[in-house]
Amino acid sequence: MAKPLDLLQGTLDMLILKAVSLGPLHGYGILLRIQQISKDRLEIQQGSLYPALYRLERHGWIESVWGESDNNRKAKYYNLTPKGKRQLQLEAQNWNRMTDVIGAILSTEDL
Amino acid sequence: MNFLRALLQRRRTESEMDAELRFHIEAFAGDLIKQGIPEEEAHRRARLEFGAIESHKEDCRESLGLRLFDELRCDTRYALRMMRQNPGFTAVAVISLALGIGANTAIFTFAKEVLLTTMAVPHSDRLRVLTWAPGPKSNFTGHSWGDFGPVLAAPFPYLLYLDMRRQNDVLDDLVAFKDLYQMTATVDGQAESVDGILVSGNFYPSIAPQLIAGRAITPADDFLSATPVTVISDEYWAHRFGRSAGALGKTVNLNRVPVTIVGVNAPEFKGPKAGGTPQFFLPVSLQQQILADPRGSMLARNDFCWLMMMGRLKPGVTDQQANSSLDRTFRNAIHTTIPELKDADIPRFSLIAGSRGLDRRTRVFSKPIYLLLALAGLVLLIACANLANLLLARSSTRQREMSLRLAMGASRSRVMRQVLTEAMMLAIFGGAAGLLLGYWGKNLIPSLFDDSWHPSGLDSQMDWRVFAFAFVATLITGLLFGVAPAWRCTRADVNSGLQETGRMTATRPKAFLGKALVVFQVSLSLLLLIGAGLFLRTLINLRSTAIGFNPEHILLFDLHPSRAAYPASQRAPLYRQIELKMAALPGVESATLSSETLIANGHGRDCFSPTDNLALLVDGGSPWDISVGPGFFATMGIPIVNGRSFTSRDNQHAPKVAILNQRLAKEFFPNTNPIGRTIISCDAGSTPVEIVGVSADAKYDNLRNPVPPTLYLPYLQDSDAGGMTFELKTSASNASIITEIREAVRSIDKDLPILEVRTQTQQIEATLTNERVFATLTTGFGVLALILASIGIYGIMAYTVSRRTNEIGIRMALGARSTAVLAMVLRETLLLALIGIAAGLAASAALTRLAASLLYNLKPTDPLTFFAAALLLTIVALASGFTPARRAASVDPMQALRHE
Repeated sequence: MAKPLDLLQGTLDMLILKAVSLGPLHGYGILLRIQQISKDRLEIQQGSLYPALYRLERHGWIESVWGESDNNRKAKYYNLTPKGKRQLQLEAQNWNRMTDVIGAILSTEDL
Repeated sequence: MNFLRALLQRRRTESEMDAELRFHIEAFAGDLIKQGIPEEEAHRRARLEFGAIESHKEDCRESLGLRLFDELRCDTRYALRMMRQNPGFTAVAVISLALGIGANTAIFTFAKEVLLTTMAVPHSDRLRVLTWAPGPKSNFTGHSWGDFGPVLAAPFPYLLYLDMRRQNDVLDDLVAFKDLYQMTATVDGQAESVDGILVSGNFYPSIAPQLIAGRAITPADDFLSATPVTVISDEYWAHRFGRSAGALGKTVNLNRVPVTIVGVNAPEFKGPKAGGTPQFFLPVSLQQQILADPRGSMLARNDFCWLMMMGRLKPGVTDQQANSSLDRTFRNAIHTTIPELKDADIPRFSLIAGSRGLDRRTRVFSKPIYLLLALAGLVLLIACANLANLLLARSSTRQREMSLRLAMGASRSRVMRQVLTEAMMLAIFGGAAGLLLGYWGKNLIPSLFDDSWHPSGLDSQMDWRVFAFAFVATLITGLLFGVAPAWRCTRADVNSGLQETGRMTATRPKAFLGKALVVFQVSLSLLLLIGAGLFLRTLINLRSTAIGFNPEHILLFDLHPSRAAYPASQRAPLYRQIELKMAALPGVESATLSSETLIANGHGRDCFSPTDNLALLVDGGSPWDISVGPGFFATMGIPIVNGRSFTSRDNQHAPKVAILNQRLAKEFFPNTNPIGRTIISCDAGSTPVEIVGVSADAKYDNLRNPVPPTLYLPYLQDSDAGGMTFELKTSASNASIITEIREAVRSIDKDLPILEVRTQTQQIEATLTNERVFATLTTGFGVLALILASIGIYGIMAYTVSRRTNEIGIRMALGARSTAVLAMVLRETLLLALIGIAAGLAASAALTRLAASLLYNLKPTDPLTFFAAALLLTIVALASGFTPARRAASVDPMQALRHE
């Protein structure tokens, strides 16, 4: 297996928004979901997830409630807000445009 | 979770954060255990993978926006600890700031009251006062009645007002008012003097001041046939009726006219004249009843100017629109009401600001206030320089600490913030103490303006604007004195800072900033000292100026009998009766009276010229005149240099006589003896007046003005004497005489109040109010500046000496005598002081010119004052440098060298 990729600067927020857009998750759940979708190809510093979550919540893009986890423990669950949904769309669009442009530049052969 | 909740429920935020992170680690460990890793190892790996918990928490807090707050709290705690550790330093800093901010707060409180407080009515910003001025070629001046002295706005005739009001379409309504002074109010058989104001019936509905009891004056009250009613001021309600509801409906005799109290104004509303405190508000229709005018009712006369007009602009109407519309209205109204007035004679109309009502106070006080604000600002600046200096000196001793912080990874901005926080903490303590001082001192400044026998009516209230001012002053102060040391700290070179084991020599560039600050401080202090010296000398010059009469042991009081009670023909006999009664009182050596009070900023003028030289006009038209009693010259101690004084036989039955002062005699009758010659009034049909005497020159209106050409006339020949001032030369104590005066006047007329009892010296002092306030405050500020400067000089010298202990030790070990060391330090002190003094002298020479008009008999660059101030400052500088110098001289070389 290749060495997992380090996360690009600023993309963690977008991945978190994407992860919670599929349903409420607690912090650890978000980590697992990202790893699961990416098939462990991304390396995420576990602890750095939380400052990002707090920041997103402060922006009003996600909201949190305390609930019960699968094994009946109290855990904090995060939800996507409507504002967050718009933000996710915006960031996804920007990301796609950016990869298109960069891809086009890199695939040019006759310089 | 928002920022505020995070901040306010800090403990809960923290425990939730902790629980959340712990849950993560445990869930992760649980998964690892499921994969078959032994429990202990799973927990270890989970913690390892998660990373440094505290660091992540710190990042979380930053995400929540709490980090800045945490650091601030930390800095504050540290600053408080530093303050506790150096109580001497803290005390000096807080006290000097408190004095600086306190002085500024007190002066601002006063300034705000005079310059910013507007009339307590809705939309006062749209209020405008109407006025007119004679055109360039017009000779319409109107016959007027009102205050003399600086004119604020010209009054209008009543009929003109009515006509303009009918035509007005730019103001909500046009209202009129006229202040009345010294009416006699008799309540429950007790007479006292009160001030009042006549207002048009639409005044209350249109201007809309608040009432706290009863009803307002309505248009229905403003009819000749209406029952006379009045609205009283809150202050009068409290003072006379103890705020009893029984005052409403009560009848008061005002100049013997019974009027019924129907309402009470709110305390904030003091009438349409800034600084005025009328107790009675009355409808204009009462004019003739309350102030009977022998020429008939002023309401019916078309060219008698007496009413002030004001109104509130309609919303959306600009000043320009209103001005041109009202100008048209004014011209039309003049054509209608004064048809005989030629077009060229129509005066020019204008609108002036009216948010403070008719405002004379601002003009009178604004110059002193701006000067005082500037001076107080200087004191604060000196305090700032002082603190910056002390903090700088301290920051040098803390270089190791700062280097350590930087070495441990603190960013420069972080260190800078910490030093600034320390400065801010000092500033906040100083500001709070200053606000407290300002609160105690808030009545101090208005009371400086009081005359010794009655208050000035100025009143300072603290409000949010004062707090805002003190707060902003505190912030600016903190920044001013905190920035230099903060900047200095971040310049610390980590390496050398840590290596230096306290053996830091005050290299030139390091001490330069501190010394520059001391020089700055010395020069500002000199400026304040010179200001204090100039104002003190002005006061001394004025007090010692020759006035031409003897004010000692002269008691004054005023009488203003109403015209309703005493028509023209009865006034002189009333005065004569009182004059004789006063002269007979035990303890009174002589008694007299005059139509004007000497040295009270008032005067009368009438057009007179020598009968044989009618074209001769003096002093721009007319001599200053004054009606006096027979004993006037003897009582006041004004010598008669030629001819005779007045006697009681110079009455209405005798030929008219006059006395000139020497200046007028010289102007009217140059090179001839004026005795026996005649002068004549410019009024048509007047008879010649014979000159019977020439008196020595005596000052008239105030101490500053030169003696005017003065004409003395016997009051017994005055066919219509106005109010009078009585002058009594006394030998007994004033207290007992005042009771006797009251008794004597009461026995003649119990409705006649005696007003303004004071001595002639008090009267003279009262005209020196501004000079006294300036001298007192600048001296206070000067002393303060001197203290601050000496602290500054002591601080910088003590600091340099302690930094140079080593060097001094070497010098002494090499044979320098202790006197030489003493001289060396003193020389350095003297150099600093002299540079500061030179700068201060230059600044003073440039700035004192601005106050030239406030000085008397003194050039703004008075060499004596400049020299004395410079000398005083030099002495203080040397004295403050002496302790550090002696400490330097007593250094034991062995100890000094070993000690490091």
